[in-house]
Order: sequence, then C-alpha cells, then structure tokens
Amino acid sequence: MNKWTEAIILMIMCFMLGAAIVIQVNTVNNNGTTNSSNQEESNLKSQVLKMKEKYENQYEELEKISKELEETRQQATSNNSELEELESKIKEDNLILGNTDVTGTGVKITLTDGKEASQLDTESLLVHAENVLAVVNELKNAGAEAIAINGNRVVSTTAISCDGNVIIVNGEKISSPIEITAIGLSEQLATLNRAGGTLEYFTGLGKIVDFKKSQNIQIPKYTGVYSFRYANTK
Amino acid sequence: MLFISILIGCILGAIVGINVPIIPYTYSSYLAIAIIAALDSVFGGIVGVLKREFDIQVFISGFFCNSILSILLTYLGNKLDVDIYLAAIVVFVGRMFLNLTIIRKYYIDKWSKKIKDKKTENEKA
Repeated sequence: MNKWTEAIILMIMCFMLGAAIVIQVNTVNNNGTTNSSNQEESNLKSQVLKMKEKYENQYEELEKISKELEETRQQATSNNSELEELESKIKEDNLILGNTDVTGTGVKITLTDGKEASQLDTESLLVHAENVLAVVNELKNAGAEAIAINGNRVVSTTAISCDGNVIIVNGEKISSPIEITAIGLSEQLATLNRAGGTLEYFTGLGKIVDFKKSQNIQIPKYTGVYSFRYANTK
Repeated sequence: MLFISILIGCILGAIVGINVPIIPYTYSSYLAIAIIAALDSVFGGIVGVLKREFDIQVFISGFFCNSILSILLTYLGNKLDVDIYLAAIVVFVGRMFLNLTIIRKYYIDKWSKKIKDKKTENEKA
C-alpha cells in the first residue's frame, strides 16, 4: 500500500466520521432532546419520540394503501355503468362520513383565551369545551356541511369534552387558540356573528373571538375509524 | 499530505452531513455508539503513529469492525432489554482516556527533553 491509497482511505474514513457526527448532532437538535441527567426521564422521552415516529410511519403507510385501494377500485369499476354508479355512491358516503378532504366556501372562527385582567371572573375568560360545543352546534344549525376543530374533523362520533386545562376532540388534546373551520353557505354561516349571538356573548365575557368568511376553506378528513359493534341493521 | 487529506475528509464530511436529511430518532442511538467506536479507533491510530507501530490495515479494520460490532451489540441489547451500549461506551471512552494519556505523556516527554537539551547547550556555551 503506497502513500496515496493510505491518504485516500484516511480521507474517506474522516469523511464518514465527520458526516456521521454532524448528522447525529442535527438529529438530536431536531428532536429537541436535551440530555437529561435523570436516566428515567430521558428514557421516557426517547420512548415517546420513538412511538411518535412509529405512528407517523404507520399513518403514512395507511395513507398510501388507501390511495392504492382507491386507484384499484377506479380501475375495476371503469367501463361498467352499474359498478360506476356504486363507486359514486361510495364516494358520496365517504363525503358524508367525513372520510375525504373537502374544500369550499365557509367561515373560520378562532377562539382565544382572554387576557383582560380587569375581568373579575377569570374563569369566563377561558375558552371551555362547552363554548366550543355551542359554536359547533350553531354551525350545524346554520347548515355547515363539514366542520373541523384545530384540524380535527367533527363527525357523528366526535365528542368534545373538557380534560382539565385542555379540550379533547376526537381523542386529541387541543388548547387555545381554538380554530373552528366550517364549510357551507358562508352568508348563512355568518349569522353566527350576529348581534346578540353566541360569539358576541363570548366577546362580552372577555374571550377573544375572531370571525372570518373565506372562499377557500380546507377541511381535512377524519383520521379515526368507525367501529360499530353493538348497532345492528335489521 | 496525510494531514491535508484528513482535513479535507473532515470538512467534506461536515458539509455533506449538514445537507443530508436527518435520520429517524430510532436509529440515532446506533449512530451515536458507532461514532464513539470510530473516535476510539482514531485515538488508537494516533497513539499507534506516536509509538511507530501504526498499521493502516489494523486501523481500517478496527475502525469499521468496532463501529459495526457496537451497533450490533446495541441492537442485541435493545432486543434483550439490557443496556449493552453502556458497556460499549465505558470501554470505548475508557480507552479513549488511556490513549489521550499516552499522547499527553509523549508530548510532555518530548518537550521536556527539548528544554533540557537547550539548557545543557546553554551551560556548555
């Protein structure tokens, strides 16, 4: 082995070592892991991170597979009017169930915890689960076709409940600011903002309410699963 | 020339490392242990150079074998639910300190010798 090959091999090794160190530092920085001196704590932290990563990977896979399913179905049903009809029925049902991303005209309501210190009752400054529920109810009453709370689609099985200082929607924890988006006839949905309406009542209590009409509201699909075990069709 | 190539390798590695996407967190513990193993080999190599018994083949095989073996041991530890990587870290870092001591002693000896030589020269003059 002459000097040149030695130099090149050393260069390659240093290259690998340098790259590995920088990648590792980047990875650790990106995950915001500060090495805790408490072993238990850092173990738990890394476990959470690993679980999150696993979940993300699985979700990606699910997304891919459902796309494949759609494609296969489309291929199978083309050139057959009867099946095509069924296919369009499936699509319609999925739309009703909230299994598809939807866009359209609508409104965007943002509820934020108030900060006015002058308010005597600080409890009324906060956005509670009941407040969110009231807004969702009003939106439904105003003919909203699709509603999402902080990106969580409201479907027939959705529960909005209080869990200490957070609100749980579809099993996911959310907190102020709460962004409720709804698709429907925006003039009709805008009646929520009427004088003496729910939103004005909230403003009066000291909560911060932001109301916006929009031509382009995007609402993501429901990410959970429907499972009916006790309800049987006759 | 060796030093220049080492420097170029390190700089190129850092540049590539910055621009490469980060790895999943699950594998970062393996990469970390591999880095420690590789660093240990590097220090071993430096000591080898100082002792004039440096063998490039031993160095290269140590560099890669140590890294791969430590990754495999960490993996095995994960499967068995034993923190084997701790043992690997203790061994590698312990050896690193030993090698650092050898390097330090070598240079101290060298410099103290130089100073002594100068003194004797001055006395002679």
